[in-house]
Amino acid sequence: MLGKGLLKGMKVTLKHCFGKNVTVQYPEEKLPMSPRFRGGDIVLDNDKCIACGLCAMACPNKAIELQSMMDEAKKRHLTKYIYHSGRCLYCNLCMEACPTKAITWDKNYENSCYFHEQLDVDCLKNSQGGAKDE
Amino acid sequence: MNDIVSLNMAMEWLRGLLAGWLPGAFWVDLAMALVGVAAIFGVISGAAVVFVYVERKICGYMQVRIGPNRVGPFGLLQTTADMIKLMSKEDIIPCGADKWAWILAPILLFIPAAGVYAVFPFDNQAIFADVNIGVFYVVALSSQATLPFFMAGWASNSKYALIGGMRTAAQMISYEVPMVFAILAIVMMAGSMRISDIVAVQQQGVWFICLQPLAFVLYVITATAEINRAPFNLVEAESELVAGPFTEYTGMRWALFYLSEYANLLAVSAIAATLFLGGWAGPWLPGWAWFFLKIGFMVYLFLWISWTFPRFRIDHMMAFGWKVLLPLALGNIMLTGIGIYIFKTLN
Amino acid sequence: MPKAQTYILNMGPQHPSTHGVLQVVLELDGEKIIKAVPQMGYLHRGIEKLAESRTYPQFIPYTDRLDYVSAMGNNLGYCQTVEKLMQIEVPERAQYLRVIMAELNRIASHLLFMSSLAIDLGATTAMIYGFRDREDILDLFDMVSGARLTYNYIRIGGVMADVPVEFVPAVQRFLDKFPAMMAEYENILMGNEILQARLKNIAVLSGEQALAFGLTGPLLRASGVDYDIRKIEPYGIYDRFDFSVPLGKTGDNFDRYVVRMQEMTESVKIIQQAIDQLPTGEVMAKVPKLIKPPAGDVYHRIENSRGELGYYIVSDGTPKPYRVHVRRPSFINLQMLDKVCRGLMIADAVAVLAVLDPLMGEVDC
Repeated sequence: MLGKGLLKGMKVTLKHCFGKNVTVQYPEEKLPMSPRFRGGDIVLDNDKCIACGLCAMACPNKAIELQSMMDEAKKRHLTKYIYHSGRCLYCNLCMEACPTKAITWDKNYENSCYFHEQLDVDCLKNSQGGAKDE
Repeated sequence: MNDIVSLNMAMEWLRGLLAGWLPGAFWVDLAMALVGVAAIFGVISGAAVVFVYVERKICGYMQVRIGPNRVGPFGLLQTTADMIKLMSKEDIIPCGADKWAWILAPILLFIPAAGVYAVFPFDNQAIFADVNIGVFYVVALSSQATLPFFMAGWASNSKYALIGGMRTAAQMISYEVPMVFAILAIVMMAGSMRISDIVAVQQQGVWFICLQPLAFVLYVITATAEINRAPFNLVEAESELVAGPFTEYTGMRWALFYLSEYANLLAVSAIAATLFLGGWAGPWLPGWAWFFLKIGFMVYLFLWISWTFPRFRIDHMMAFGWKVLLPLALGNIMLTGIGIYIFKTLN
Repeated sequence: MPKAQTYILNMGPQHPSTHGVLQVVLELDGEKIIKAVPQMGYLHRGIEKLAESRTYPQFIPYTDRLDYVSAMGNNLGYCQTVEKLMQIEVPERAQYLRVIMAELNRIASHLLFMSSLAIDLGATTAMIYGFRDREDILDLFDMVSGARLTYNYIRIGGVMADVPVEFVPAVQRFLDKFPAMMAEYENILMGNEILQARLKNIAVLSGEQALAFGLTGPLLRASGVDYDIRKIEPYGIYDRFDFSVPLGKTGDNFDRYVVRMQEMTESVKIIQQAIDQLPTGEVMAKVPKLIKPPAGDVYHRIENSRGELGYYIVSDGTPKPYRVHVRRPSFINLQMLDKVCRGLMIADAVAVLAVLDPLMGEVDC
């Protein structure tokens, strides 16, 4: 019969019209992210970090800028750790390169901002600020 | 219940009220006419507001998502938000545009879309102008909608708009012919072009959709082409021509065009409800309630077709209109004529 | 005496349906196309040049962004090229995981193709259905690698990490849902007479013409040429799987569409066999920390969703490549646009672009 395909298509849309919806009403409901989700800003654990600089060397885009200094006991400490999130590819190479697993993702994807400067995150200050609050 | 809440009673009451205030019968008639015009514009605006929301909701549900639901409870104020946004836009006239043709196009599109409402039977004897060439009036006025599209396309000084305008002229003119022939079958069955006669015949017998299924199908297809909805929306094909003849319109001008699109949709559904589904006739609900229910069904049918199918190409559309629909419509008229003759001979 | 004149219409880089930033300059006579000249380069990001200042593992995220809709395939091609240069043997489990990821990505890419074809032809509802089903695949990838579009999952010597425990049951659920999905697409798109009228016998390209243009992938197979690199020069472990290569008969737009739909069904077969045969073991070979391939050059190609994706790497013995060239299938497939569009209408040009399925990230690199 001519037009049979058309009528089958109409049946499909009719079925979905009265069926369930698959969308999630953001921001009231949010979909859960997977455990391996790469997103948000880098969270630095200053106690675990040995300031080796492997993360900055592994990054393809030079999104991590760090400086370290050697103290009297011949131990390296971080003096600066800036994460340029605007340059980041979210490729995870830095986290895989870290020997002590000192950096992790904070998985907060709602981090849009108005100014370019706000994209540069001072992870060292954040990690020390967190320690001070506790 | 029919007599208590019918529109007729409301009109009589209003006429009595006005007769108490105004000096003569002429003034009462004039006042009633103005009230009728205002009511019709109220219906059109209300319809546009409702249809924008309904279309987006139904389209959303068919696409397994919820339509607008943020502005107002269940998104009911969505149209208001859209109108406010459109009214606050900057009015840009493209340079090189043919100014008066460009400005007049949306206004001229709205006039026939609104004018056909004069002959719709909202209730028993609640037709604004029950002329005895009712059907002819509808067909003649709705064919005037072709020219403003073409004006908009030409006057915009833009190639996309021009292509859209040319396509419109071809499409709308081609599909008027089968539509008129489909309606002609109904006129033959009813024996008159007066709208109230057609409704009266259906009230006594069966609805014409049972007697003329082919004409109904033809009417739905050609009406979809006349109001430029998918699968015939190649005039404003969003993925090819951005927005067809109305590409260069912004703000309130575009809103007027959008409004007349929905007024057209309502007009076409109302004609279908009148000619095929029995108009306002129906048991135990008031007439205007039945009328709007039938219109609602027709609108749902148009929306359903619109959101399922891909669109035609211009030459397919022309071939379909002239080579398939027109012979079918003529064949339908022939069969109707034979049927009427046999019916008359047997009785 | 008025004379008819052709005019130039610019289907510019900002257009609802040029699949990204592609500019097609159409010379038209009424609605008929006289000439269609694609202008690309609006998305050029210099990826091949960037490769010269990145180490080999650091370049993998950049390959994700070439053909961003089938990123696993890009990763796979690049890593296999470097492995070919360095003679690295990839462990069995990693090989199977790579096949599963690449075929899932092929299905996702073809679903995107179908959705964008639907919306270019006006069937908006079908587009949403395609995207809804593609979300399931993206959720699987999210579970495995943490990202939905640019995975950086396949690495030199294996894969990034082993899949979590819930991955294989989730893939099985997706495969079980697949036949019903395809039946729905059949009802709403493939069987639709309007769509068939739009696509059948349009833009016919014969097998010889397709070969002359250097087309590969579903476009070539739609013209009847049986050329699938997974069968002709199997890479990885593709020779262990039993699947057929769908071919078209007439080489028109409808064949190009149907071939991709059938390829999805074949990919499902491959994934089912791969999950059934999935061995245990490690997922990364013993590669040195600093990847320094020996000096030399190598070309390796894989069958990506759009055609033959080839990587040509020239190494000079240092950790950074001397030159990386990517043979991008969409770039080469785009050539046929002019030849095929002559004599068609504007609406057909849109349909041709949709079935050509160019990905501007890949065309411009």
